[in-house]
Amino acid sequence: MHKFFSNRRLVMVIVCIIVAFSLMTLSVTVRNKRSTPLFIQQFGNDIVGLADRAVTIPLNGLSHGVGALSDLQNTYQENQQLKEQVADLAQTKVRDQTLAKENKELKQELKLNQTLTDYSLVTASVMTRSPSSWQQQIIINKGSSSGIKKNMAVMSGSGVVGRVSEVNQTNSKVELITDNNDSSNRFAIQITTNSGKVVNGIITGFNSANNQITMGNVTTKATIKKGDKVVTSGLGGVMPKGLFVGKVAKVTGADYGLSTKVYITPAAPVNDLNVVTVALTDK
Amino acid sequence: MRRNHMVWIFPVGLLLAFFLDGSVSQIFSQQLLQYPYNLISHLVVLWLVLATLFEDNRNLHLVVWAAIIGGIFDLYYTSIFGVYVFIFPLVVFTTRALNNYLQPNFLSGLLIYFIDITLVESLGYVAANAVHLTSTSGTDFLVFTLGPTLALNLALYVILYFPIRWLFYKYD
Repeated sequence: MHKFFSNRRLVMVIVCIIVAFSLMTLSVTVRNKRSTPLFIQQFGNDIVGLADRAVTIPLNGLSHGVGALSDLQNTYQENQQLKEQVADLAQTKVRDQTLAKENKELKQELKLNQTLTDYSLVTASVMTRSPSSWQQQIIINKGSSSGIKKNMAVMSGSGVVGRVSEVNQTNSKVELITDNNDSSNRFAIQITTNSGKVVNGIITGFNSANNQITMGNVTTKATIKKGDKVVTSGLGGVMPKGLFVGKVAKVTGADYGLSTKVYITPAAPVNDLNVVTVALTDK
Repeated sequence: MRRNHMVWIFPVGLLLAFFLDGSVSQIFSQQLLQYPYNLISHLVVLWLVLATLFEDNRNLHLVVWAAIIGGIFDLYYTSIFGVYVFIFPLVVFTTRALNNYLQPNFLSGLLIYFIDITLVESLGYVAANAVHLTSTSGTDFLVFTLGPTLALNLALYVILYFPIRWLFYKYD
């Protein structure tokens, strides 16, 4: 049996470890910069993304087909419930249109060009998901050529599910709100209480045990109740105001009793995403 | 003549396995990534390990390909460069080293694959911990990530071992 760790090999191993750790540290430090990814990485990711489509399009199509079959069984019941909701929604929508129009006119009179609630939507389909235990990341099939920029909010159906963490020309990565890593950017959110008070804060983490978003370090005196709606506040970054995040599930004291911790049930399920919408802002 | 075939079948299979890993995670995300379990498919590792076992003097440049696919993995899936670009070649080295001591067959391959997956997941965990991607404790990692991932991947090994062996022998 030859000596497994000869001197030369040992040196090689140590050099590899050092190089690996420096590369990792470098990637993490430059990840949140606006200018990343580098051109070469962007180019590579675009090519790989293009090739990936050859695999993901047939597979996703197949899985949609299977999903559609099982959905068919619940259709009747769902239809009944939805009919009731539609009647209610039509009214809300008309009112919403009127208000939006009025809002636009008022803004024109005030000569306000951009406010926090101005955004347009881009729909993208989910190509694939990072096969990694430590990163909750999906890859969508729209990129900077569709106007997507880093840190924009990503929604699915009824609410926010994540933010854009890396943009290439034709695809981009989305970090889901369930991702718990230290370096991820946090959402600025606000809760409107029953009495009309607004509580601002940020999402500080995700509690996967009960599938709830946590909002820590809240020091307000206002009473937050279960069921209060949580929306993005539009403060800081390129996220618009008023995107639905979820509803308050529980309010507890934080670990040291100095502040409150709010648990929020997310509006959209994050583990079964096929199509997402990105909120584009002009800021 | 026969060498020519595997020289292009191997990289194509590697890329396919690479894309399938992501697609499996996406399509079965409800089943595989259900709290608290993290089941990750490692088809790339499976393809690399089986290719090493069946390589048989064919010189497919496995280490180079492993490093390339590891680099693409880092850039495309995780955007943290420097993790899998080193782990995947290490898998090939480990498989070769272990293969020297074992009679090559289905069961010894299973054992080698078991060790390789443990290596990949553990080193991945160490790396993720080092750059603060996760704060999972070691025991939680063993119970909720490593164990289920091993179970899933060994099952995939059992299913795919004979088809892949057939493929390699056919172009022998």
